[in-house]
Amino acid sequence: MQIQEEKIGDVLVLTISEHLDSSTCNAFENRLLGTIDRGEKKILVNCGPLEYVNSAGLKVFLIAAKQIETVGAKLVLCALSPSVLMIFEMIGFNRIMKIVPTHEEGLRALNGEVATA
Amino acid sequence: MLKQEGAMHEGTITVRLPADVKEIERLNRLVRQFGELHELPLRTLYGMNLALDEAVTNVILYGFDNPAGQEVKVCVEVADSEVRGEVTDAGREFNPLTVPPPNLAAPLEERELGGLGIHLLRSLMDKVTYRRENAKNVLTMSKRIR
Repeated sequence: MQIQEEKIGDVLVLTISEHLDSSTCNAFENRLLGTIDRGEKKILVNCGPLEYVNSAGLKVFLIAAKQIETVGAKLVLCALSPSVLMIFEMIGFNRIMKIVPTHEEGLRALNGEVATA
Repeated sequence: MLKQEGAMHEGTITVRLPADVKEIERLNRLVRQFGELHELPLRTLYGMNLALDEAVTNVILYGFDNPAGQEVKVCVEVADSEVRGEVTDAGREFNPLTVPPPNLAAPLEERELGGLGIHLLRSLMDKVTYRRENAKNVLTMSKRIR
């Protein structure tokens, strides 16, 4: 697993790649929760290069989403591959997390712009 | 002889893993290689890989009071247009099929962290069975190859 971090305006973008599993979930949890702790309010997780996620990785998203809601920040996930998206849907996370198809839509969603259809 | 539909090949592998969560990565690599060699459709392979990961992770994390020196046996078989997985361990008796499914309709603040892996395992496979045999847990799972 690799995590890249960049700031676009006031949106913090974490791009996660390869495998998010039992051996890598702690590193991702520390990184994601760390951004919330230091006060980031708009967090975009780009899952484009993410090939595999198991329940240990899914739990990190759930923990982060709960914490983000309590501190009044916003989390958006974007660019999930079809197989990763299938897993998120299977576990019902598409109902409790904002998931959009592209990076651009992710930025728009966090910047409060209404996407034009 | 009629040529068979699809290109997948029949075969099996058996892997014995020390009961250590670090071994899951090796299991995943072996299952993927097996699936590729036997030309399983990608979606089917992804499902079996994840289902076995969840089953074995569960055993390693919760199956033993002291996991040192313990092992988990995993078999994967491709036959009869089906892929089958079997996970055997000598840990405490536990039937994962008794775990209630998570409430997928619950709002975020009420969603619980437990039960996600078992739910995925059951959702990804066509059939999952559990039996206790010779003081061992045996979990079997299968998925039709389409």
